[in-house]
Amino acid sequence: MSEPRSPYALEVRGLTRSFGPRKILSDVSFQLKHGEILIIMGGSGCGKSTLLRHIIGSLKPDAGEIYIHGTEITKLDDQEMSKVRKRFGMLFQTGALFNSLTVGENVALPILESSDVSPNIAELVVKLKLELVGLTGFEHLKPAQISGGMKKRVGMARALALDPDLLFCDEPTAGLDPVMTAVIDTLTVDLTKKLGLSAVVVTHDMTSAFRIATQMIFLFEGKVIASGTPEEIKANPNPYLQQFIRGDADGPIPFKLSKDDYFKRLMQT
Amino acid sequence: MLLAYAQLSLRAFSAIFAPLFGRRGWRLSALFDQMVGIGVASMPTVALANFLLGLVLAIQGAGQFEKLGATAMVANLVAFSVLREIGPLITAVIVIGRSGSAITAELGTMKVAEEIEALNVMGIDPVKFLVVPRLLAMIIMMPMLTVLGEGVGLFAGWLISVTTLHLDPVFYVANSVDAVEQKDLFTGLLKALVFGGVVGTVGCFYGIQVEGGAEGVGKATTKSVVTSLTCMLAMDALLTTLIYFIL
Repeated sequence: MSEPRSPYALEVRGLTRSFGPRKILSDVSFQLKHGEILIIMGGSGCGKSTLLRHIIGSLKPDAGEIYIHGTEITKLDDQEMSKVRKRFGMLFQTGALFNSLTVGENVALPILESSDVSPNIAELVVKLKLELVGLTGFEHLKPAQISGGMKKRVGMARALALDPDLLFCDEPTAGLDPVMTAVIDTLTVDLTKKLGLSAVVVTHDMTSAFRIATQMIFLFEGKVIASGTPEEIKANPNPYLQQFIRGDADGPIPFKLSKDDYFKRLMQT
Repeated sequence: MLLAYAQLSLRAFSAIFAPLFGRRGWRLSALFDQMVGIGVASMPTVALANFLLGLVLAIQGAGQFEKLGATAMVANLVAFSVLREIGPLITAVIVIGRSGSAITAELGTMKVAEEIEALNVMGIDPVKFLVVPRLLAMIIMMPMLTVLGEGVGLFAGWLISVTTLHLDPVFYVANSVDAVEQKDLFTGLLKALVFGGVVGTVGCFYGIQVEGGAEGVGKATTKSVVTSLTCMLAMDALLTTLIYFIL
């Protein structure tokens, strides 16, 4: 698979996806330059997690293209996609650590499974990766013995295990206290700078989003209704976006939604 | 649904045989863990169930043979039934309830917790990583558990016959040996091997298919047990018919 040169780490063009009559993503397009952190934000059910699952190749779109480092991935078979996946890491919302394995084994898993690296080298890499996320000495603990925030840090260490160019994070701060949220945010910014990564972070945590973003897009009912730098997003007059940023209970996104309105809105998209 | 099951089974069996063609081998530590979980941990329950059925079979048989004045035939009945039918069947029922359901629940929970998607994203095939050790352990351990179950079932038949029916212990054993052929033992083991494949693939299939949260895991586990039992009985009928007419 030859790799075309591209100025973008990630480029999404006209991505559209429906589940039955329900259009979840509608003509979504955006780009992520190398070394930037892109925040995909939006309310629950707006399609941001579905968008991320298309980008990592778990779902196939009805239309549109996704380029990772210039390689169009929507038409790749499993084997080709597997090669692309080795170049990106993903931090899942729950950490997605394997409970039967220790923290160290979790981080070592992608290293040992993707190559014939000796266990001693893998152990060394695990120590380095855990040090990066501030968890030196935790490798012998089981995921059940560590806190939610630590699980996410281990998840991040595992995502970084194969030295990816791109990092995807799905709601990395969901369910964390403000201090741990700040820790995860700091790690995301530091690691992208230190390791020269580009990152895509899906979140609806506005404090966190504005703290780490270099670029932002706002999804509403499956469409990108605003995009730009954090300053441009703050200055954007779109009422939906402003209600979302301020966290108002009532506004263009109504407080009370009848079942009919809900279905009407779903069918419109 | 059937197509997806067939695809998963085909991929799993291809992955099992892949090391024979120079591909990367099985994950032996995971296989060993599963063999312990599925096999060793099931031994007491399998032994108890077969012991009780061996007792029941001998007592029920004795009641009928007594009318014909042929109580000694109990040995033949127990040996033949346990080796050909009861041993493999009751062992499979116990393994389905104990380990088949556990496989579905475990894989289903992993699916819900995004662990299976995490494997995909890391470029690790969940079939090779999760399904192969479980399926292979099931295929290896089911015949072994069946041998254990059959041994205990035969012993239970002997015990009740000697203590309650006052049959001669040596005569009982000689009668049992006369009653069965090598073919009967192999028939039972062949069935156990097939049951292992069925229970392993069905358990993994329903686990990987789980959608939704805890409710989805519960529903999938129920479906897995019901489907495994039904398929196991269907395979039993099919194999019995084939063996009866062919061998």
